[in-house]
Amino acid sequence: MKTPILEIEDLCARVADKEIIKGFSLTINEGEVHAIMGPNGAGKSTLSYVLCGKPGYEVTSGKILFKGKNLLRMTPEERAREGMFLIMQYPVDIPGVPVTTFLKHAVNAVRKHQNLPELDTMEFIKLVREEGKKLGISNDMLKRPVNVGFSGGEKKRLETLQMAILKPRFAILDEADSGLDIDAMKVVADGVNAERNEHNALLVITHYQRLLNYIVPDFVHVFADGHIVKSGGKELATELEETGYAQFVKEK
Amino acid sequence: MGGLLQNIKLPGDDIPWLEGLREKGRCVFAGKGLPTAKTEAWKYTRPRDLQADDFVLETTAGHECHCGSNCDCEKTCGEGSVMPFEAYELHFENGKLQHEHLHLPQGVTVMPLMDAILQNEDIRGRLGKSFDLQDYPFAALNTAYLEEGVFINIQENISPDKPLAIINHTHARHDNLLFNLRNVIVLEKNSRATIVEAYIYSGAEKSRYFANVVNEIYIGRGAEVRHYKLQNDAYKAVHISLNAVKVKAGGNYEAFCLQRGADLARNETHVVLAEEKARAKVDAAYHIAGWATVDTTTDIEHLAPETTSEQLVKGVAGGNARGVFQGKIHIAPHAVKTEGNQLHKALLLTDEAEIDCKPELEIFADDVKCSHGAASGELDEEQLFYMRARGIGEDEARRILIDAYLEDVINRIEEPAVRDWIAEQARQK
Amino acid sequence: MAKENNKPEIIDESGDKYKYGFVTDIAADTAPRGLSEDIIRLISAKKGEPEWLLERRLKAFEFWKTMSEPSWAKLTYDKINYQDLYYYSAPKQKAAPKSLEEVDPELLETYAKLGIPLKEQEALAGVVAVDAVFDSVSVATTYRAKLAEKGIIFCSISEAVKNHPELVQKYLGSVVPYTDNFFACLNSAVFTDGSFVYIPKGVKCPMELSTYFRINAKNTGQFERTLIIADEDSYVSYLEGCTAPQRDENQLHAAIVEIVILKNAEVKYSTVQNWYPGDKDGKGGVYNFVTKRAACRGENSKVSWTQVETGSAVTWKYPSCILQGDNSSGEFYSVAITNNRQQADTGTKMIHIGKNTTSKIISKGISAGRSNQTYRGLVKVSPGAGNARNYSQCDSLLIGDACGSHTVPYIENRNKTARLEHEATTSKISDEQLFYCLQRGIGAEEAVSLIVNGFCKEVMQHLPLEFAIEAAKLINISLEGSVG
Repeated sequence: MKTPILEIEDLCARVADKEIIKGFSLTINEGEVHAIMGPNGAGKSTLSYVLCGKPGYEVTSGKILFKGKNLLRMTPEERAREGMFLIMQYPVDIPGVPVTTFLKHAVNAVRKHQNLPELDTMEFIKLVREEGKKLGISNDMLKRPVNVGFSGGEKKRLETLQMAILKPRFAILDEADSGLDIDAMKVVADGVNAERNEHNALLVITHYQRLLNYIVPDFVHVFADGHIVKSGGKELATELEETGYAQFVKEK
Repeated sequence: MGGLLQNIKLPGDDIPWLEGLREKGRCVFAGKGLPTAKTEAWKYTRPRDLQADDFVLETTAGHECHCGSNCDCEKTCGEGSVMPFEAYELHFENGKLQHEHLHLPQGVTVMPLMDAILQNEDIRGRLGKSFDLQDYPFAALNTAYLEEGVFINIQENISPDKPLAIINHTHARHDNLLFNLRNVIVLEKNSRATIVEAYIYSGAEKSRYFANVVNEIYIGRGAEVRHYKLQNDAYKAVHISLNAVKVKAGGNYEAFCLQRGADLARNETHVVLAEEKARAKVDAAYHIAGWATVDTTTDIEHLAPETTSEQLVKGVAGGNARGVFQGKIHIAPHAVKTEGNQLHKALLLTDEAEIDCKPELEIFADDVKCSHGAASGELDEEQLFYMRARGIGEDEARRILIDAYLEDVINRIEEPAVRDWIAEQARQK
Repeated sequence: MAKENNKPEIIDESGDKYKYGFVTDIAADTAPRGLSEDIIRLISAKKGEPEWLLERRLKAFEFWKTMSEPSWAKLTYDKINYQDLYYYSAPKQKAAPKSLEEVDPELLETYAKLGIPLKEQEALAGVVAVDAVFDSVSVATTYRAKLAEKGIIFCSISEAVKNHPELVQKYLGSVVPYTDNFFACLNSAVFTDGSFVYIPKGVKCPMELSTYFRINAKNTGQFERTLIIADEDSYVSYLEGCTAPQRDENQLHAAIVEIVILKNAEVKYSTVQNWYPGDKDGKGGVYNFVTKRAACRGENSKVSWTQVETGSAVTWKYPSCILQGDNSSGEFYSVAITNNRQQADTGTKMIHIGKNTTSKIISKGISAGRSNQTYRGLVKVSPGAGNARNYSQCDSLLIGDACGSHTVPYIENRNKTARLEHEATTSKISDEQLFYCLQRGIGAEEAVSLIVNGFCKEVMQHLPLEFAIEAAKLINISLEGSVG
């Protein structure tokens, strides 16, 4: 019997009085990779923000269990410390704060939560450089302020690096391929794949099938009008690529 | 002849509230006097020599042409239109409204201010209610002489098909004429109008006069005003204007003022964004030379959430001229999600010219985005050289670059016909 | 002076956060309350000053009586009763100390609490030479001998008056004349002590010079006076730190710093100002009215002001640069943080007089709590300042919805070849930035501190390293409790 990491039951959520998620249910077990595919504007990003607890995203009904605990009771940072990680579509700039400083604060906040000793500067720098190297991130880039002046590819690499260092139990890739060329996408996919094991799980949110060639999902769900309209295996992604989403979108 | 404050008989002095208002204006002006070096709001523009001048005031209505033989009165005083675009034209001659019959569309009222005072109860709640006399010495003086001007009212959902143009034409004369104009402009809910204001003169360039103008503009919910102004007064003239604007929810005030003339000029705009989602765009340009001091002052008060304002002011100063820009963005507590942006850029053409600039942010709410910027410098030598190397004469090259410098701000004028007219007026004389 | 406990006078929830809030128990030699010609004569006599200096003081006092307190700043505070202050308070000692060993051990203990272990630093073969001003008197100057080898004079201004009268007479008041402003005039009449630095021709000062100011006695005005002279081709980096104990009443601090920079010389002046800011309701705290000005007199001379202002109930301070020499340059880097009920009106003046002069202003203001902060600056280009350049950037950050942030730059250009640029922004920490940090497990308070430190970075990197670390800590302390 597999252990569930994330259990979403009949979730409804809204942003600024607009109902976006309407009766969404999904269970993700350890070791699984799920993909959510859907047309633009279906509420895919909203789902990822709701899971991470972004202020302004209001859950109106339903429940979410994360590792058996009530996720909706947790603050965004508690969720992160429990192992929830969101690779953002458009990561924000933080001027003046170098990547290393930022990451050190993050990794030690997570470690403290797990009752692990905090890393000292030397240990930390070693870790970041090693992981950075794997992702083709230069030491110079680590000194730059978080996301400031980074290209789309660099931003995604930095997100992947953070994932490698924070070692989340559950990661969400929100349109991780947007703005990436094929090589950069491979680097990100390889980085993500390297982190996969039987204890963690992954949710890939994407409009296009191409990323799923590199991160192969166990399950594919079609998301339209705020909930899952169809589920299947990885072959569903290929099918969607040919037929498009029109069949799932309600005539307006 | 006399000083700025003279005891003269004005019409309507039997109306207690009107006389009370005038008296208040007299008291405030007499008490405060002219701004001095210590008056922060007039730090760079000092109207000191006005004190010494003798002024002539005319109170009896009616047109009396003092023009010399070379006056092109026919053109402006006659029935013909002055503006190069279609407009409902109102003509003031030496500060006196010329009674002409306008064929105005339904829902649009235009009448002399004194008629409005006598006939329209509504004006009482508007006159002098858009600003505090204590803050504006010249508006106080203007209030002391309340008489001339127009009242414009646009009814709910009405949008006149053409701009309303208020044309102020001053003829050369040998005495120092002082005239005070007060225009009250009311836009009811969801109405729209374009107001064009022009100050022009004819006859001897040296004529000295003092135009002291106050516009009170009330913009209702969802209403919009486009207010375009040209100040091209005679080079010895004094021109001081206050535009006091109140904008209700979702309303929009869009202004542009080009200043070209006068010896001492100030166009001051005070916008109160009183309710949610009110907007203002207050642009200006100046292109001056000689010994002129030309001042553009703005004060935008954001009192409610989600209000926005933007300002682009560009200037060119040559000769011994002095360009002044003072801009203030005020954001009141709880006026969150507001945005206020302001930029002033100026070009100095000579060693004797001067630019003084004081942009100011005053912010009491946290969820806001505000910025201001200022820059001044000279024409780009590289560009000049490039043009000369292509065979364009230096003067010509300068002219092209100066015109181009003002072009981007002028291009922000939404109405094409007005834009072309302003662009023409902004060009090198 | 009454016997006091060697403990903070106020201990409460917010009071605890001011870690420098202790009172040192030292018998002080204090002149009677109030200001008069007699008091000035007394100060002058106590210090054994020459006649010319007394005359200057009296002249300043006469002029001061004709002046009124400036009211243009965006500051509101209770009227200061100048007759209710003590104008002189010196720790009682037998004779002037000749070395650190002779300094009252309790005084040294105070400095240790302030984080300036004088002795240790001397033992550590020193990076920094320290002059410490306690209330009104300069207490000890370390490394004097070592500096003297290079011809550098670093001593208290009182000693300089005695030992180097020609330098003091020539330069004192030459940058900030007593007529300059109300507070500078008051200082010129009653200043008690401060630091004096002279760097001779061609000498690069081998270590950072440092002064720590501390107000200790009750109801004391502190009026210190600093004079720095950098002769041709010289260089010095000077640090100034300030603390004061917690007091219920307001303490007045009205200092003058004058810097004279000759041809090809450079001075870097860094301040970390941490005077007691008052409690969370605005009770107590230092009134900080300071005139700081540098005159770049020679060609290619250079000055750079860096300040981190976290303390004081009321700050009124505009470190300025007079760029007289051709090709001279002035820089101003400032971080100001106000929280609770603090008020700060601060900025700079850049006066371009010489040709090819350049100036740069980077100001970062952070307002939190119910505080109010104003950046006020002047950039003035005289007709003769051909090719002058200025770049100004003033950014403000608001934390919470009860504070205010204001930006009032004055820009006056009278030379067409000058190019001036000014940019200012005001914003709050964006929800996006905060969420990004939270999503990575960083708590809200820590996230704000990270973002604020990032916001200030451009300025902080101009501070000497050990000062920068101290300043970063101070920023965090100042913002405590500001995140709701």
